[in-house]
Amino acid sequence: MNPMRLAALLALAALAAFLLSLFLGVEGFTLAGSAEARQTILLEVRLPRALLGFMVGGTLGLTGAVLQGYLRNPLAEPGIMGISGGAALGAVIAIHSGIAQSFALALPAAGLAGAALATLTLALLAGRGTGPVTLILAGVAVSSLAAALTSLALNLAPNPFAASEMLYWLMGSLTDRSLVHVWLAAPLMILGCGLLAATGRDLDALTLGEAAAQNLGVDLGQLRLIVVAGTAIAVGAATAVCGAISFVGLMVPHLLRPLTSGEPSRLLLPSFLGGAALVLLADVILRLLSPMGDLRLGVLTALLGAPFFLWLVLSKRSELAP
Amino acid sequence: MREKKPASQSLAAIAAGLLALVMAMAVSPAKADKPQRIVSLNLCVDQIILDLLPHERIAGLSFLATDPSMSVMAHEAEGRPSVRGSAEEILALDPDLILAGEYTTPATVDLLRRLGRRIEIIPMASSFDGIRAVVTLLGRLTGEPDRAAALIGAFDDRLREVKARAVVRSPGPRPRAVAMQVNSLASGEGSLVDEVLEQAGFENIARSEKLGPAGRLPLETLIADPPDVIVRANSAADFRTVLADNLRHPAFRALASSRPSVSIPMNEWLCGTPRIIEAVERLAAAREELHRRAEARR
Repeated sequence: MNPMRLAALLALAALAAFLLSLFLGVEGFTLAGSAEARQTILLEVRLPRALLGFMVGGTLGLTGAVLQGYLRNPLAEPGIMGISGGAALGAVIAIHSGIAQSFALALPAAGLAGAALATLTLALLAGRGTGPVTLILAGVAVSSLAAALTSLALNLAPNPFAASEMLYWLMGSLTDRSLVHVWLAAPLMILGCGLLAATGRDLDALTLGEAAAQNLGVDLGQLRLIVVAGTAIAVGAATAVCGAISFVGLMVPHLLRPLTSGEPSRLLLPSFLGGAALVLLADVILRLLSPMGDLRLGVLTALLGAPFFLWLVLSKRSELAP
Repeated sequence: MREKKPASQSLAAIAAGLLALVMAMAVSPAKADKPQRIVSLNLCVDQIILDLLPHERIAGLSFLATDPSMSVMAHEAEGRPSVRGSAEEILALDPDLILAGEYTTPATVDLLRRLGRRIEIIPMASSFDGIRAVVTLLGRLTGEPDRAAALIGAFDDRLREVKARAVVRSPGPRPRAVAMQVNSLASGEGSLVDEVLEQAGFENIARSEKLGPAGRLPLETLIADPPDVIVRANSAADFRTVLADNLRHPAFRALASSRPSVSIPMNEWLCGTPRIIEAVERLAAAREELHRRAEARR
């Protein structure tokens, strides 16, 4: 498909999902209450939710596309690779220790630190001529370690409510977020996405192999730094305000790749827009399924994503075989 | 005959001894009826027995009893041995009565019972009648029925006082209220919070919305049709992240600060104990304030 047309179509889809998210309420598409109440509901309750859905979805979609290109691995994704898990762990530690309350940016900062640590581990491994399967397994190990340490924090929680708090946080949600959260996380997500978007040309060169890319003038050290920093900042900030929302970065680039020419750079913008549309749509669907807000966004994306992952592994068997 | 005399004497002695024993049991209850080393494994039981028993008869309390965010008796519980819940540490306290809650780990309860310890499961009260029943039960099990009756009597006196005042100071239709908890939870029929609101003379909108003991009242619904009084049923400061986002939300804060607001933190309503009457009194005061504001506007 023509790249311009694809981007325009996805932008339209994201916009439609954004408007759906904005106008869908607890009781369908109605808005109850006085004029003042309606304004508050629209601007202070639903707008932050839609904005964060757009930004977080876009961030996860774009990060998935960049990681798949950079690691030359179709299964790379912030969730599976343990980057979201690292961010979640960072935030859980901040919650557990009380650091989260000490200053306004403490929670995103802790999420960011956790994401950076996980990404760095993977990037160091990736630089050593590691095969795709080994890399995914390393990601799974990072992910398991993050999950184990998160369980430890839950296990040692001071009271039952601290434990349930961490558990809910791990489920990922956009419910009751305010503009405060948007101001906290959006600048960091924009910064991280900006860094990642700039890697397009280098990623294209990298499809020819590291040596060829270097001959084409790609500074591999610098590229790694940009990918690690961009991923950590964007995913760290997203996870710190919305909790863990997995598999978006896996599904979106895969669904869109057949519609592009196949170069990683051509997939970046569509993946951002597609991720935004997917998360917004998932949030709309779960509100239709449970208007009172019992169902969590991260649970829904995982329910969609895990079977997709399995299907992907099975269909790529020959490609992944050593 | 000489041999028989000692026999009849000893028989008489035994009879006299038995009589004395029976009399002793009738006059003052034996130690068996008044356990001296009582261990509680449940936060709610902890808080009731601290009011019911002399503290030297309490051999152990649950580890939550000293947590001020969950227990109103945290200060009083200081200094009592605290129990995390394993059979081993409970046995080390050598209790003659163990009081467990309905959700105490069944494996621990079974083990203690098999080891021959007296263990009683105490139900949780979610209504004022439930509180009276639990306090009465605990009074009977610990050998302090009179003290239990006195606690219930004082509770009922204060409740009557609240209702008598309401007739004079805040007559008219019942104002609407809701007690908002973290995670947008609101308690309707079948919950202690609902009983407190209703007894204090409010219409609980979580009840009218048929939310049950722990339903969800989305922020949107609350803003669209706000009640006259918003009760903060959790302190946002106790919760560090997402769970309390609804209470920290600017729109919720604006709503709560624009009307009489009452704070009944979780430690006050988590357990059904006679001390819940303090929450009823504070709510009744809010109802009076509401009435005064309405009068002033008129």
